[in-house]
Amino acid sequence: MNRSPRRGRWGAFLGIFLALAMIAAACSDGEGDDSTTTAGTPGTTAGTPDTTAGSSDTTAPPTTQAPSGGEVNNPGVFVHAADDEPTTLDPAQVEPGEGGETMILQVYERLLEIGTSGPEPVPSLATEVPTVENGLISADGLTYTFPIRQGVTFHDGSPLTADDVLFSWERVMTMDLPDGAASVLSDVVDSMQVVDDSTFEVTLQEPNAAFLNAVVPAMVSSIVSREAVEANGGVVAGEPNEFMSGSMVGTGPYSFVAWNRNENLQFEVYDGYWGTPANLDLRVEIGANPDIRVLGLRAGDYDTIETDPSFIGDIEGAEGVTIFAEGLTVEPIHIGFNLRIPVDQLPADDNIPADFFLDPRVRQAFNYAFDYDAFLRGALGGFGDFNPHYIPIGIFGYDPAAPVYNQQDLAKAEELFRAAGLWDTGFSVSVVTEEANLFETAALVLKDSIDDLGNPNMTVTVAAVAEAVFDEAHATDPVPYAMWVKNADPFADPHAYVDSYTHPDGEWGEIHGFRQGYVDPDGIADLIDRAKVELDPVARAALYAELQPLLYDDPLWIIAAQEGVVSARRDWVQGFVSNPLWPRPSLKFALMDKG
Amino acid sequence: MQIRDYIIRRLMVLPLLVVGVSIIVFALTRIGGSPIGIYLSHEMSQEEVAELEERFHLDDPVPVQYFYWASGVLRGDLGWSGVAAAPVTDVFLPKLAATMELAVSSAIVAVVLGIALGTFAGARRNRLPDHLTRVFSISGAAMPLFWFAILLLIVFWVYLGWFPIGRSDPDLWARIDHPTNLYTVDSLIAGDFGAFRDAVWHLTLPAVTLGYGATAIIARMMRSSLVEELQEDYVDAARAKGLPERLVLRRHARRNALIPTVTVIGLSFGFLLQGSVVAEIIFQWPGLGRWMADSVLRGDQATIMAYVLFTSVLFLVVNLAVDVAYAYLDRRVVLGE
Amino acid sequence: MRRVGELIGALLKNPTTVAGLTFIILLLGMAILAPLLTEPNTPDAYQMPRDWGAIAVPPGSPGHILGTTNVGGDVLYGVIWGARTSLRLSVIVVSLTVVVGVTVGSIAGFRGGRIDEILMRIVDVFLSIPELIFALAIAAVLGPSFRNIILALAVVFWVKYARIMRAQIIHVKENEYVDAARVIGDSPWRIYLKDVLPNSITPVVVQATLDMGNIVLVGATLSFIGLSEAGIAEWGVLVSEGQAGISAGRWWASTFPGLMVFLWALGFNLFGDGLRDILDPRTESSR
Repeated sequence: MNRSPRRGRWGAFLGIFLALAMIAAACSDGEGDDSTTTAGTPGTTAGTPDTTAGSSDTTAPPTTQAPSGGEVNNPGVFVHAADDEPTTLDPAQVEPGEGGETMILQVYERLLEIGTSGPEPVPSLATEVPTVENGLISADGLTYTFPIRQGVTFHDGSPLTADDVLFSWERVMTMDLPDGAASVLSDVVDSMQVVDDSTFEVTLQEPNAAFLNAVVPAMVSSIVSREAVEANGGVVAGEPNEFMSGSMVGTGPYSFVAWNRNENLQFEVYDGYWGTPANLDLRVEIGANPDIRVLGLRAGDYDTIETDPSFIGDIEGAEGVTIFAEGLTVEPIHIGFNLRIPVDQLPADDNIPADFFLDPRVRQAFNYAFDYDAFLRGALGGFGDFNPHYIPIGIFGYDPAAPVYNQQDLAKAEELFRAAGLWDTGFSVSVVTEEANLFETAALVLKDSIDDLGNPNMTVTVAAVAEAVFDEAHATDPVPYAMWVKNADPFADPHAYVDSYTHPDGEWGEIHGFRQGYVDPDGIADLIDRAKVELDPVARAALYAELQPLLYDDPLWIIAAQEGVVSARRDWVQGFVSNPLWPRPSLKFALMDKG
Repeated sequence: MQIRDYIIRRLMVLPLLVVGVSIIVFALTRIGGSPIGIYLSHEMSQEEVAELEERFHLDDPVPVQYFYWASGVLRGDLGWSGVAAAPVTDVFLPKLAATMELAVSSAIVAVVLGIALGTFAGARRNRLPDHLTRVFSISGAAMPLFWFAILLLIVFWVYLGWFPIGRSDPDLWARIDHPTNLYTVDSLIAGDFGAFRDAVWHLTLPAVTLGYGATAIIARMMRSSLVEELQEDYVDAARAKGLPERLVLRRHARRNALIPTVTVIGLSFGFLLQGSVVAEIIFQWPGLGRWMADSVLRGDQATIMAYVLFTSVLFLVVNLAVDVAYAYLDRRVVLGE
Repeated sequence: MRRVGELIGALLKNPTTVAGLTFIILLLGMAILAPLLTEPNTPDAYQMPRDWGAIAVPPGSPGHILGTTNVGGDVLYGVIWGARTSLRLSVIVVSLTVVVGVTVGSIAGFRGGRIDEILMRIVDVFLSIPELIFALAIAAVLGPSFRNIILALAVVFWVKYARIMRAQIIHVKENEYVDAARVIGDSPWRIYLKDVLPNSITPVVVQATLDMGNIVLVGATLSFIGLSEAGIAEWGVLVSEGQAGISAGRWWASTFPGLMVFLWALGFNLFGDGLRDILDPRTESSR
């Protein structure tokens, strides 16, 4: 029989076997590579994680596998792989911490920006940072004057004037969208005024220590083009603007090109930029699948990717990849207790009553039961630190002496559960989380922690859902779950944290009903309110030092950890800087280059 | 004459089946969450929501609601996709083109490979090559695509760098017009060879991966019908005439064995459609499948329903076409049941 | 009895069928003996035990023969209890769907007429929607949980059995022995149980064997897409958790569970295919 025409088929067999052999080969050489890991000390108490190389050398050996054979992949365009799709690109509509903020950071600018290092604001569309000394803050601390930069044009060609600034801020407060962060401005601003084309003046309701570093540089305070908004639907109270949620006209180094839903966002270098222009065009790939992000970075098709400490093991040792791990994010990962549980909306297996978390002993018991070590040393690989209630390390008012839950104490937890009468009756409670990220891991640690108590009547179920689904539940009032995991939003000032997360009448105080749970809600509220208007740093710090032990005894959160900053990039990325106060992934792409 | 009757009968049943599928789809929208969900967009005001409730008669009994929903669908109103942030119908076509390009390429891989393997095995019945082929083709059907595709991606994308992911190089994609949204076709229309190469380059790995899974169905059918044909009298007669075995196989048996094999191509197309969901997630292919997967996770009901409705109709039409083709190819077939 | 002996003899003659059978026996053995092979996790043995002190350790590490996942889940435990999860999934779904499918198909085939017409049109409608997509849509509407995956698969998979059973019954009904029984005056129920069902069930058995494999494959795919629940000892979930690690040299967390899905599906498909060749030489497409 003539066999020659059949050889091709055997070739196919051979090909598959070769492919499998190559996988095996590829798998085995993953560990010995000499790539670079930059790691500083991730935290003060966590020590140096054993997984890092500890070197500060940022130059890596030249990559040997660049598929195209050239120097870099995708020359001329910087490619970042993000995790989830933005829900909106409108500063007036975006929820703090949401993916859209990342895009807003690149395209829009604020009067002041958080600089490349540290929490201090630096001039941006305003040419000077107001101080009492330079006369731009009035003596009573209420009126701020911002000299507006001249010669700045929006991406649609219209020039920037003080009028655009007024329009932008007024627009946010008029629209006052439920998802958005309008209250960041409206809670603070009393009146605004255009003095002339290049001078903008704002008067506050009361002195505010957080105004310059937490309000002015916030994404919600971005300056938008009046001309562009008015040509596209204008401003309608209570209603989102369709044009603005899907498009951007800013003054920044990048202009918006396209948003291909479910695929990518594209940006172009803006030639008319007033400052240092961007080096490369920008493309943000949207890939919900974290594995593809990691693989893409290794393949060289992505220059930077959205990462967290749990990725390090997957990236470490990869050729041509540099890991940056230094300092801490200012977004503590926390598990919320809902004190206003809508019992009829809970998952079917939950059997807890509406007042489950009203008893502080129950909340303390959960705090004692949580296995902090498992989360920090295990899941985070040591990249992080423990965080007291509730001001993060690195933020003014952080008190190293504040009491902190950082050790699993099962005996104490059992004692408290018994005291609260839950040990015998037991409970079944679901904790909702985004799937496939650190929050899910934190939820799993909580589940295991409760299992560690060895009481089969007490169970925690992890409800891991898509990010968009989680966001919807998280934005519902009351939240349809008894517990949830997420991280805090980053702020430059302590007031934003304590107000959002611990004040009985703050954002979460109202949604979760803190007032019913606190032993002394008014005492806590009073301390927070006083610290807000206290302009003397020493006195202010003292107030926060007084507050934190109260929050420790009456916890409204389990603070799992303050996560380390971890960022992974190709070796060819130059000019890399990261500031944890910038919205995740804490990068300004315009500052970077390749080659 | 008989064939024409058969086709007419099938064509008459088709709309009934589509209505049946639409009832199932409609039932699913009512089981999960708020029935208004599929029409809501992120940007709507209270009044607009009330208007929608009015328009789709959501206060009326369910059969009435079905009527309004179905008439909406017939007018092309499939609701609002939260994932795409646009009406489903607006995004459907370009994504459909991407999926069809992948599915058709995979089908070509599957048909060519399946027929080759089936012939190879059938001619060597119960010998070692037959057994190996059986294992190879059934492995394709048993292979968890989500796992296999990642392995291939790691080898061919990450380590070797031979194939990319995604559908196109954005610059090359932007360089040409897209009248059909089929990248390969568009690049040929534009006469842009670079873009065409880019299209094929991006298509190869997902098409082969997906096609391998569907190979088994075709290969198994081809093998068994070839085995049957080889036992027919005319084959013996041909052999008796002294025709070499190779020619017997090629000229007679294989040609006839192909006819029943045609019937399973429709079946394997269904396999490819569902496989495309996984393949598109992993290869970052911007088609219907990836959209569907995201919609499933994000609770985007409008997209899910539109996708189910559409793939079912497509599946029905392909199967009808296949059966008709089969009827023409093989007059011996008893039509009907 | 002789028939069974012959059948086994024929099956054992084909090496690929034997290979399939071997995989099946090994995997089922693993599933059934799971509580003996590893100490069940408490309180729920179908949940992965996690060792937070040993994140992503390689195979061969003390206490973790096949290594751990990136949340410290023991891969060996996942492999073994994943088999049990798969067994649970496939047995529940196959038995539910066979019972429903055979009942519907029998009623349609045996009764004929109007009822047959109606039932078969319903079956046709269900068959018009590709399996995985249908299951995906149902599971999506019900929300992510393993229970809902079982439910979704059960809704999807019964139709084939109805179709196959009906065709068989119509075919068997024509036989002389059925006529004979009728003449004797046996009740229709008795005829059905004694003469029709045993003679029609073979293709159902073949299909059920194939589905034992396919259901696990489709179920794992749904899990992979994200419709299962976190932390469960299920192969699809484990594969999706461990994927990125493969290129980093941490291949074990994804490779072993993926291989198990493959072997499970391969085993039942090879065996089912061999069974079909013997029982039903005129290979039938399931359409």
